[in-house]
Amino acid sequence: MLVQVLNGLVYGGLLYIVSVGLVLIFGLRRIVNFAHGSLFMIGAYVGFSVAAMGGFWGAVLVAALVLALAGALLDVTVLRPLQREDPIVTVLVTFGLLLVLENFAQFVWGKDFLKMPVPAMLSGSVSIFGESFPAYRLLVIAVAAAVALGLSVWLRVSRIGLYVRASSADPLTTAMQGVNTDRVSVVVVALGAGLAGLSGTISAPLLALSPSMGSYILIESFIVVVVGGLGSFVGAFVAAMVIGQVHNFGLVYVPWAATMIPFLLMVAVLIWRPTGIAGSHV
Amino acid sequence: MTAGDAALEEAAPVRARRASPVVAAALAAAAIVLGGVFAGAVQSTLLMTLLTQAIITAILATGVGFLIRQNGVVSFGHAAFYGMACYTIALAMRHGVMPIEAAILLALVLPTALAFALGLVIVRIPGVAFSMLTLAVGQALYEFATKARHATGGDDGLTVNLPARVFGVSTSLFQDPHAMFVVSWAVLALVVLALAAVAASPFGRLTAAIRENEERARFIGYATVLPRVLVLTLSAFVVAIAGVLFTLYNAFVSPDVLHWSLSGSALIMAIIGGPRLIWGPAFGAIIFFFAKDMAGDVTEHWQAIIGVILIVVMLLLPVGLGGALARLWRRGAGHG
Amino acid sequence: MADGFAIEGIDITRSFGGFFALKGISIAVPPGEIRGLIGPNGAGKSTLIDVLSGRADRWTGTVRMFGDDIGALPAHQRRRAGLARSFQRTNVFADLTVVDQLEIAARAAETPNVEEIMAELSLTALAGKRAADISYGDQRRLDLALALIGRPRILLLDEPAAGLSIGESLELAHNLKDLVARWKVTVLLVEHDMEVVFSICDRITVLHLGELLAEGTPDEIRGIPEVVTAYLGSSV
Repeated sequence: MLVQVLNGLVYGGLLYIVSVGLVLIFGLRRIVNFAHGSLFMIGAYVGFSVAAMGGFWGAVLVAALVLALAGALLDVTVLRPLQREDPIVTVLVTFGLLLVLENFAQFVWGKDFLKMPVPAMLSGSVSIFGESFPAYRLLVIAVAAAVALGLSVWLRVSRIGLYVRASSADPLTTAMQGVNTDRVSVVVVALGAGLAGLSGTISAPLLALSPSMGSYILIESFIVVVVGGLGSFVGAFVAAMVIGQVHNFGLVYVPWAATMIPFLLMVAVLIWRPTGIAGSHV
Repeated sequence: MTAGDAALEEAAPVRARRASPVVAAALAAAAIVLGGVFAGAVQSTLLMTLLTQAIITAILATGVGFLIRQNGVVSFGHAAFYGMACYTIALAMRHGVMPIEAAILLALVLPTALAFALGLVIVRIPGVAFSMLTLAVGQALYEFATKARHATGGDDGLTVNLPARVFGVSTSLFQDPHAMFVVSWAVLALVVLALAAVAASPFGRLTAAIRENEERARFIGYATVLPRVLVLTLSAFVVAIAGVLFTLYNAFVSPDVLHWSLSGSALIMAIIGGPRLIWGPAFGAIIFFFAKDMAGDVTEHWQAIIGVILIVVMLLLPVGLGGALARLWRRGAGHG
Repeated sequence: MADGFAIEGIDITRSFGGFFALKGISIAVPPGEIRGLIGPNGAGKSTLIDVLSGRADRWTGTVRMFGDDIGALPAHQRRRAGLARSFQRTNVFADLTVVDQLEIAARAAETPNVEEIMAELSLTALAGKRAADISYGDQRRLDLALALIGRPRILLLDEPAAGLSIGESLELAHNLKDLVARWKVTVLLVEHDMEVVFSICDRITVLHLGELLAEGTPDEIRGIPEVVTAYLGSSV
């Protein structure tokens, strides 16, 4: 039972790290990046390749940095030129990017599933209240907790963080505050992409790597973001944790329906509250 | 521009609206005849196979495009309605619970009903979130089909046991590329005609107004949820028609018919062709199939190619190829 | 028509996050009157229009139209009952032609007076043009035309002259006054242009920070020192 809850935390934690990147970008620009899952996927592959040469910790660092750079590039070359257009244009352009990136990964790393080994120092198990649990999975939970904590401090303390919070609550007024939005946006998109890269790498030892893993996680994180209420950090955290648990218990008790459960949960939440748990008016 | 030109331009919309039903019906009839003549003239089975697939997918893209045109939202999940139609026939035939004609009817009704029910929940959601939701909905159905192996055969798919005759017509005819091309082409022509009629009707103009400015539509006295739900329902119905044709033609279904990449392809066809025109998405679908065929030895990079094309069209040609073509034609006609 | 008012808001309050946009405002406009609603920015004028027309959420109080409680009706049903409004920021259907959008509006109102409206508001020559392609002043008149289709019984106008030149706004104002007098429309008018307000309104209500500051005829309002100092300045 405890192990199940912990496994739910692992999955929920990963989902949170991916989803919060979407939330950050949505809060600031009111757009959704359909290539976000691809950034996660590329992060996993970059991590895989670097880990083969330079060890796990180097891989985590390099993947997060490479993807943060890619995020900055994405902001400057795609999101910024499109900011005056209908958000649908950005959706379609980033969808085009998703197709290109998936094909790119297929070209570089091949179609076959790849498996990244768990780093040696974390390959053992830990005993928690008499039940044994893989140490690596505990690390994933710790990283997710650290990201959640770090992010909420950053959002409260830093200038950019304050701006992002204000903007996700009320983009119109915030736009008039005389802050350099372009600079804020580069930082925020780079951060979101870097988090996608980070989560890609740390989830690589738990998942089989394939070019299509990006669209899978994209859909799951969409559910998280919509259930949580678009643009809400707290909502995304709660939704990720709930979906992590629900997903995991589903896998154990009703495996044939497990993938439907988060979706059904989403529909239920939307009927109950069309704007998601956190219920901000979009 | 002279005063006469200006007057002509003012009169044009009104006049065009009155003339359009007759002209459109004549065009559709001509198109159907032309399709028959074309199928008679072309010998190559390979070409006809390609074209038949293209036309069936064109109907799918037309449904997706109509939603963009009337509701201004982009669906990443219409494969759900398409695949649901396919699986309805496949499962009904597998269990032999009803005649094929009833199964076809059910295959049209079920996705349409699903779209209606779902629409009541999701059309209230603003544009970008709507796209996210449709993707999730479509993929949930896909996952279900792959996991529910005992019912659907999972990834292996299902062979559809079609009876010898469907609606009194020999089933082999539906699987002959030449004959099926004519059938699908005629259906496409009728669908485009019907959708054009809807778009020109008061309902069509109301939904266009809601697309333009939902709030103002409410303040001139319209409930705005139901019309949008009905557009989604109609677009799902069109997509279900495509699913039925696909199943009759291939007599085989696999979860691919539910996958988001099919929704995505249909969407790309609609965008490339230009969703502002009723026939734009179908045009885009045909371009898509020929381009893919010509890509030949680089097909393993097809996905990247189509991704780049989508980006380029979005950035440089928001009206799509069909829209650009229509403009050119109009300009040419204006000078001549 | 028990109490004889066309439109009535009773004890309307709207707040978000501790900030009160409206604090227990009551307003009652008898049939046929043109009522001006003035006050500095943030006074709650637009919010009051939003509550009366069904655009605002999370408010308390009572809204009556000819005695019927319409507070629970959605916006489109209020419009069909004869309560129309225009918008502060031009709110038309940009991609539709002038005549198309007026015809759509006329269908909801079940009174096909499209030609009449276009003639009254000098839009006839623009009938076939897309709303996005006509001038700003014409768009403002189109916005008004959308509200006036079907001869509503009550018209809520949120700065119909915003962004127009002085000449244009006065012309629009008198165009409007003439029209509502003939059609017997009750009007609640929010307007920043004091010349417009004082020349066409029968009575004026002054709001300040969500509260009722004063109410009276234009002459009475001009005579209240605190209104003049707080808001009107020396311009009137």
